[in-house]
Amino acid sequence: MNTKLKRSYKIAPVLLCISLLFISGCWGKREVENLAPLIGIGFDLGEKPGTYLVTQQYARPKKGGSSGAEILQRTLGAEASSVREAFETVSKGAYRTPFMGSLKVIVIGEDFAKAGGFNDVLDFAQRFAEFRRSMYLVLARGRAEDILNLKLRSEHLSAIYINYIIEGGNELSTFPTVRLGHYLTVLGRQSTAPILPVVKSIKPGEGINYKAEKSGEAEELQIQGAGVLRGDRLVDFLNDDETKGYMWLENEVFNRFINTVDLEETTVKFSGQVLKSKTKYKLHTNNESKELYYQIKTSIAIDEIIGLNKQLSGTEWVKLAKEAEESFAKVIEKECEGAIKKQRELGQDFLGIGRHIEQRDPQYWKTIKDQWEEEIANFPVSLDVKVTVHHTGMSSSSATNSGGEGQD
Amino acid sequence: MGSWMKMIKELTIRPKGERKIRKSPSYSFDEDLNKPLSGETVKEILSKSSDVVFREFLLQGKERIPCMLVVVDGLVDKNLLDQFVLKPLMVDLVGHPELAQVTLANVIDKTMESLIPGIEVKKISKMGDAVDSILSGDSVIFFGSLTEAIVVGARGWANRGVNEPIAESVVKGPHEGFAETLRVNTSLLRRKIKHPSLRIISLKLGDMSNTDLVVTYIEKIASPDIVSEVLLRLSKIKMDSVIDVGYIEEMIEDNPYSPFPQVAYTERPDVLAGKLLEGKVGIMLDGTPITLVVPAILTQFLSVNEDYYQRAMTAILSRFVRYVGSFVAVVAPSVYIAVTTFHQEIIPTDLLMSISAGRQGVPFPALLEALTMTVVLEILQEAGLRLPKPIGQTIGIVGALIIGDAAVNAGLVSPLMVIIIGLTAVASYAIPYYDLSLAVRMMRFPLMILAGILGFFGVAMGLYAIAIHLLSLRSFGVPYTSPVAPLRIRAFLQDTFVRAPWWALKRRPQLMDVEEPRTNGKG
Amino acid sequence: MERISSHQFTLLGSAVLMGTTFLPIASMVTGVAGRDSWLSVLPGFALGIPYGLMVLALMEQYPQKNLLQITEILWGKWISKIIGILYVLIMIYFGGLLLGQLGDMYESSIMPRTPIEMFYLGGLLLVLYLVKSGIEVFARFSEVLFPLIVFALVLNIGLSIPRVEQGELMPLLSQGMIPIFWGGTKIGPFVMEYILFLAGVLPFLSTNKGELLHLKRGLWKTIFLVGILNTLVVLIQISVFGPSETVNLVYGLLVLGKMVEVSKTIAGVESLFLGVWFAALVIKISAFFFAVIWGLKSIFNAKGFMCNLVVGIIFMGIALKFQKGPALKIEIGFVDNYLIFPFASVWVLTLWGMSYWKKKAGVS
Repeated sequence: MNTKLKRSYKIAPVLLCISLLFISGCWGKREVENLAPLIGIGFDLGEKPGTYLVTQQYARPKKGGSSGAEILQRTLGAEASSVREAFETVSKGAYRTPFMGSLKVIVIGEDFAKAGGFNDVLDFAQRFAEFRRSMYLVLARGRAEDILNLKLRSEHLSAIYINYIIEGGNELSTFPTVRLGHYLTVLGRQSTAPILPVVKSIKPGEGINYKAEKSGEAEELQIQGAGVLRGDRLVDFLNDDETKGYMWLENEVFNRFINTVDLEETTVKFSGQVLKSKTKYKLHTNNESKELYYQIKTSIAIDEIIGLNKQLSGTEWVKLAKEAEESFAKVIEKECEGAIKKQRELGQDFLGIGRHIEQRDPQYWKTIKDQWEEEIANFPVSLDVKVTVHHTGMSSSSATNSGGEGQD
Repeated sequence: MGSWMKMIKELTIRPKGERKIRKSPSYSFDEDLNKPLSGETVKEILSKSSDVVFREFLLQGKERIPCMLVVVDGLVDKNLLDQFVLKPLMVDLVGHPELAQVTLANVIDKTMESLIPGIEVKKISKMGDAVDSILSGDSVIFFGSLTEAIVVGARGWANRGVNEPIAESVVKGPHEGFAETLRVNTSLLRRKIKHPSLRIISLKLGDMSNTDLVVTYIEKIASPDIVSEVLLRLSKIKMDSVIDVGYIEEMIEDNPYSPFPQVAYTERPDVLAGKLLEGKVGIMLDGTPITLVVPAILTQFLSVNEDYYQRAMTAILSRFVRYVGSFVAVVAPSVYIAVTTFHQEIIPTDLLMSISAGRQGVPFPALLEALTMTVVLEILQEAGLRLPKPIGQTIGIVGALIIGDAAVNAGLVSPLMVIIIGLTAVASYAIPYYDLSLAVRMMRFPLMILAGILGFFGVAMGLYAIAIHLLSLRSFGVPYTSPVAPLRIRAFLQDTFVRAPWWALKRRPQLMDVEEPRTNGKG
Repeated sequence: MERISSHQFTLLGSAVLMGTTFLPIASMVTGVAGRDSWLSVLPGFALGIPYGLMVLALMEQYPQKNLLQITEILWGKWISKIIGILYVLIMIYFGGLLLGQLGDMYESSIMPRTPIEMFYLGGLLLVLYLVKSGIEVFARFSEVLFPLIVFALVLNIGLSIPRVEQGELMPLLSQGMIPIFWGGTKIGPFVMEYILFLAGVLPFLSTNKGELLHLKRGLWKTIFLVGILNTLVVLIQISVFGPSETVNLVYGLLVLGKMVEVSKTIAGVESLFLGVWFAALVIKISAFFFAVIWGLKSIFNAKGFMCNLVVGIIFMGIALKFQKGPALKIEIGFVDNYLIFPFASVWVLTLWGMSYWKKKAGVS
């Protein structure tokens, strides 16, 4: 008996493996061509109360010519009171299974954001296993549906286009990059108000000029500014400068263009690009009152000098560079102060000052934690901006008139 | 239990103790072999074969003695026999005083002492020996009705000579390979290791084929346990015939149901010498250039002798490529299946689009597509293998290029699938040992099916099952995965995934638990 | 008699101690100790050192015996039988729960539509194969796969670094040391699981004088290796997710894997990692399986294929009973805290104390 058993022991795994084959093997199996990759999803208020309009943008790969795939778009919307329901409605009319793993962007419409309650919507995205937390969140000026349905001149899907802009955002550092994971982490901090970048469609002449194929229709996209949320409700938008200030204070500036054209007190204007930047903060104590102190150190290369109409000598160049440093510092200060002012106006701590206090002095934070919302408006913040001009470009002079001064 | 269970058991279970052996049928001449030795009987036994030559002549001694030289035509060097056997006895020495003393009583001793020049001359008195010698290519001389005879070694037959082995070619290193003749092979080995402790032990195997076999090892380096185990296993073999070492390989391996080779082989004397110096045991068989080397470990099948001839840095790179190649050859198709049918989230979106676009309109699910393509690949390989060289190339071109391209254009398979299969095929050629690459080809199918059912979970399951199987294998008492698990740190670091430079290789690899210093380098 | 070298002991021990602790550990510990929880991981694991040394000391005194047999020598037949039955029951129950965890892990985060039984079956087949092949092969299996598990872990942690949020770890020690202590107690049961396995594996260890030193060293290595790795796991999760999200996520490390992006080529490698971690779970379940088999052998002298099969079926049954994720999690926590931890800590401590006292009494 024993030896017999031992023998069947040997074949048992083999037989079990073979039997595995005969159990129909289709669980969770989805052929890749039967999937509809979801690229973007948009949320707007629905017409009925309690519902919302879910706009889903799918990519439809098509066999291209000699190389790769051609991507067609397929954007569908449905009104529902839960995201799953919306997917169900749409799926009835689409033969492919929606595939969430490729979702890049969640666009939240302005009305919907103002009405609040989109954390419920995001719960689906953080719970369902197919989603990844690295997708981007953006607010839309106007309706998310319109943004996603935009026919871009570059023939990209608008969701993919937004994704490209955000991924290139480090080069600009003018708007915050918010992934779902980051958003949830910020929510977890409680004292900090989340902030989302804002996307809007541009008609010809609204900032960018181009020739639209259908006149009067927007055919380009732009991300500029940000929206501040309180809980899950949109409170207000930040304008471009305030957003830039936010970027400085949050140490999120990597590479940026900057100019001093708007400064009134100087005649020579500079523009350049930020090569690197580092923001530190400290909590200063001056006789029992606390003050948050930001120190921004940045290094800028000058690309353009305007309003300079004479040839400068070596020492004068050094002086000019000093002048440039001061002008740049003023611009940065102005941007930061704008952001701080906005923060005080709104009473929303989107700069995360409370969190900074907690990091530096947890004991003090415990005492002011509960009335933080009132404290925001008058909590002292000071700034120190240090700019170094890294270089002044390839030329040591400016193009000047031939008859101008400085010519022998 | 049903009767089918019994059947499977009978088919798969090996009885404990000795292996099943085929009983050799009793041949009619078995009795003849027991008869007393005489020229007449030998003629009786062998005369039905037209290749046996019986040359009768008279020896003009004190008495006239009728003699008979028996040889197999084609196995002897006729010139040698003419010059040094027949000519002295019949012509040169006629009238010579030595010859003149010869009588029937002392003819054998006299002949051996002074009449026949030549190294290999010996006296025999058994029928069996006589027949064996004749059939092995020796010449036997019978004198009258005496029951003893003389064997003269003058073998000479058509020989392939020492060529470069086709299956194991190298760029840098010696280009000679073993031939089909055992003596030639042992001489090639002896030329590599000129040391008295090189042992060459002769055996004979096969009731019918009577094949010569040699077990060779280096005393004091090879573990005596392994040597005696090899000899024990060889002595237990009872077979009709041993045509190739493959027969022996199957009889002596530890786990006959494993797809993995547990005995290494080589056609090169330098490889054999290198392995013997690591403490392994070689088994050479007459009639085949392939020599078995035991015990074998898995990593050995992924290293080649060139690793030791090249400089260490380049050898490391080429070993690395081989390991990567064999891994790709095992998993590439199954990973493709798992990724495209279960884990699309792992594919970056851009790639997802192009895979998806490529698969538009392909009528098969990925699993079936991959299985079919792999089967086609196997057919192509098998077809190309046995064809004459020029046609073999045509098969490759027709199969790979034309069929593949047409299938993609017709929308039967996706372009990526063709790439994957091509990659798999190329990767499996990076495995230097044919037997291992066969095993890898076998592994691929169950893995693909598992991937089709359970995705990565299935692939992982399959790979772990293979790992457990490998880890439980032993070859002549040595764990098959040896330097890796159980870890032998020195061998693992010096000669497994990388090869240390020769000046750092101070010790022989541990097979069992002994570690012998090598005498080289600074050590 | 099969034997395990001290190196294999280290790696096997690490693999068993590690198991899949890296998946739930961050959420568990952070739930108690908050932002500073990562500090409590290593001290928590250090609890294993005194206990491990006690077990090794017992082994030195009674070589070639497992802890149940030592109990029999010290406390007599009946008490040892009771303890043995308790041991087997706990091991079998927890082993089954771990099998359930395997299914839950795959079901909830990678392949939601595959029947959960397939994961149980697949895992159990491998475990049975390992058990059939014996402790030597098991030791080799962990010898090969543990480095891979560590590699996958480190890779996952390393690739997540770009997702680190600024300053999530600060402020340090804002709540003082007390939460860290409570966090450490959450680790205790993990350590005791390992000690219970150690209790069974003793007869396979070599007891030479020199070897014992190696074994002790191996124990230290095991504890520190696993402790440091798990500390890193908790650290990276807190600094990416922040403490509150870390608590919320069931298998935080998998979510981390989903966020990995290596330029545009590789995105989300959690299914690959999960393939490797599957091995970790298989090793852990096998360890419990082995412990059950050894226990049964020393109490009832039961062994052989039938025995393995029955134990396998019981494992499967327990796993099938707890198919729902949250219920499984609670049950695992319950067994950990209220069965394994008290049982192992009391048993080993009293046993060691008794033998120590006896030895002292015998000498003086």
